[in-house]
Amino acid sequence: MATGVLVASDQLDASRLGRTALIGELALDGSLRPVPGVMALVSAAQAAGACDAIVPAENAAEGAVVQGIRVRGARELREVTRHLAGLEPLTVVGPPSRDSESALDDAPDLVSIVGQAVARRTLEIAVAGRHNLAFTGPPGVGKTLLARSAAALLPLLDEREAAEVSRIHSVAGLSQPRASVSLRRPFRAPHHTISTQALVGGGPRIRPGEASLAHRGALFLDETLQFRADALDALRGPIDSGAVTIARVEGVLALPARFMLLAAFNPCPCGWFAVDGHECTCEDGTRRRYQARLSGPMRDRLDMIVFLAPISSFRRSAPPENSSAVSARVATAAAMQAERQGSANVDIPPGQLDEGTGFSSSVRAQLDTRARQLGLSMRRLHRAARVARTIADLAGSSLVRAEHVDEALLHRPKEVRP
Amino acid sequence: MIGVGTAGPTGGRPEPGAGSRATERECWIALSLVPGVGPAGFARLLARYGSAAAAWRAGPDALENLAPSRGQGNGGGGHSLRPDPREVARALQHATERAGGRTVTGLDEAYPPALRTLDPRPPTLFVIGPQSVFLERAVAIVGTRRASGYGISVATEIGDDLARAGVVVVSGLALGIDGAAHHAAVAAGRPSIAVLPSPIDRIYPPRHRPLARDLLRAGGAIVSEVAIGASIGRPDFARRNRIIAGLAEAVIVIEAPDRSGALLTASAANAIGRELYAVPGPIDAMASRGCNRLIADHQATLVTSSASLLRQIGLARGERPPTVNALSEVEGQILRHLFERSGSIEELVDRTRQPPASVASALAMLEARGLVNPFGGATFHPTLAAKRLAKVI
Repeated sequence: MATGVLVASDQLDASRLGRTALIGELALDGSLRPVPGVMALVSAAQAAGACDAIVPAENAAEGAVVQGIRVRGARELREVTRHLAGLEPLTVVGPPSRDSESALDDAPDLVSIVGQAVARRTLEIAVAGRHNLAFTGPPGVGKTLLARSAAALLPLLDEREAAEVSRIHSVAGLSQPRASVSLRRPFRAPHHTISTQALVGGGPRIRPGEASLAHRGALFLDETLQFRADALDALRGPIDSGAVTIARVEGVLALPARFMLLAAFNPCPCGWFAVDGHECTCEDGTRRRYQARLSGPMRDRLDMIVFLAPISSFRRSAPPENSSAVSARVATAAAMQAERQGSANVDIPPGQLDEGTGFSSSVRAQLDTRARQLGLSMRRLHRAARVARTIADLAGSSLVRAEHVDEALLHRPKEVRP
Repeated sequence: MIGVGTAGPTGGRPEPGAGSRATERECWIALSLVPGVGPAGFARLLARYGSAAAAWRAGPDALENLAPSRGQGNGGGGHSLRPDPREVARALQHATERAGGRTVTGLDEAYPPALRTLDPRPPTLFVIGPQSVFLERAVAIVGTRRASGYGISVATEIGDDLARAGVVVVSGLALGIDGAAHHAAVAAGRPSIAVLPSPIDRIYPPRHRPLARDLLRAGGAIVSEVAIGASIGRPDFARRNRIIAGLAEAVIVIEAPDRSGALLTASAANAIGRELYAVPGPIDAMASRGCNRLIADHQATLVTSSASLLRQIGLARGERPPTVNALSEVEGQILRHLFERSGSIEELVDRTRQPPASVASALAMLEARGLVNPFGGATFHPTLAAKRLAKVI
């Protein structure tokens, strides 16, 4: 606008402006203030045919992610005019460096978690195939710690995904911690007091919720059963479709929200139900009501529920692996998936669970047998098959074998039994 | 005061001679329905007046005589003797038949023989299921509602062994141990008897309605001392437990914490002269405190195994179904560990020294074939079928 005035009043030559997009908030003193959503705006400008963009200096790194457009950062209007006048050109901000990943690393390392070999294994499977995983078990067994360590295990985003993620974060005004446009997948862990709106998005000025902020990453709900029931149920849509749909009078808006769900909860209010050698002090009805907070449909959308038992001793058979060893395997498995079907295993459509994805006819027959033996629904069977696919990937096997299917099935969410 | 009085819905005192045309059986049913007249009160009335009809004719005064020595009762005033015992009896029998059951009084041939010798005995019972189950040998299995995986596993094994040996399993259809015992009998296709603390048309707990249906389908019976429509505030577990002990020749307590209802059944069993057995548990397990104490105090005989229990009761193990197909090496190894001690998958990984992946897939295979049961999704127990395999592997 200000530039428009300058051009109109012949203080600036309009031709100099060319196909330059100017983004920013002009303060009264002539300085440029950072604005939210720069990345989305720059990419919109690029799509509209702009080949240059000048953005507030604070947003430069964020804007520079967009490819096919030169992005420059300016601190005040004077710099913009001098640049446009060709007096003092601003430098083009290069694409952000990709190697500053570990600087943000606040995820606990797996090396600090003693025992729980089974839970570690399922976490690796879940992260590799981006499956929804729940940890349950008594207090203090490491459910939260393990789930949080997933942040460091998630495979890196590819360029296209990174752009998607950054765009959402930019819209939400969250670009600060991701200034260097990380290839790391987001890891969101909202507190259980969160409102439904804050979880899935919406509000008078539509803002992405935690579900969208976790897009392409992980959404960790610690103490899952303490979340509002309607908030939990609102996640069903995004889990199914990978998007949050917000209906408004003006129309329907879909915000991307393809996340892997990590859950952690106690099996009952006292936490000790079914743990050998411990007494559960909960009344039967209390426990059932507590467990019912995870509704049947939500339980059905989990891929694995893993019970963590308290470790009985400090004796350990092998020193625990560190996160980087695990994440290396995860990355390999993720690459296999990308190469095979161009998506994570969790997103394989049911119709493609066939020879093309490594399910031989004998393994499909085994799945049918197990479905009959264990009384599984079709949805449960498909979910287990996808988990089995990931287990095979981790084993470096192009074919899914019987033992992969069985391991996947052991961790299937089971009906709550008396 | 007992539940007799001045302010009954029909005005208290029966019309003179109202009971004269009613049969003894009708008077018996009507009298046993009067609130506050428990088995003991009923027995005293019979002893004093010679017959239920005579006691009925004596009216509320007869009941007042009970007051000084009355042990139990709920003091529910407001109801008094209604004028016509025939109506009372007919209405109740009708309601009972509508619920698919029948009314059995102490006067009837069909009254369970095991209960005849009880003193006092329940005057009237309401029964669904064949009469013949009450003529078989019967053993009661009782225990806590908050059973551990161990308790469920033991109750299932003993229930199955007893049922296959041709014994009728008696229990209370409660959650936990009771349910496991009934389930085992039903799974073996043998009859069992469920004694309810509630009327026969209101299965308690409601969650066991399907179990009650299966139990009847397997030729079992459901019994209650509580009349349909009786306004009971709380289920009367003490009286129920006494019937459980009474119907059985022996009572087995599987898991019972201190002050458990199962211990009431145990003391009833001792009081009425039934054999009492208790299954021991870890000394630090609350759920086994009562059982361990029964054993320590020489109240109950220690159960060392299901087989030894059957021998002590004088039974031979029944037919066992054929075993399943061969197991893989890891599966066999896991089962052997589980026979030693049940445990979580984490423990099994530790004990078998196998990678988590192979333990998990082997467990899933075992679960699919019905050889292990993941209690609460946490602790794996070998199932009956697995125990039958025990000798093979």
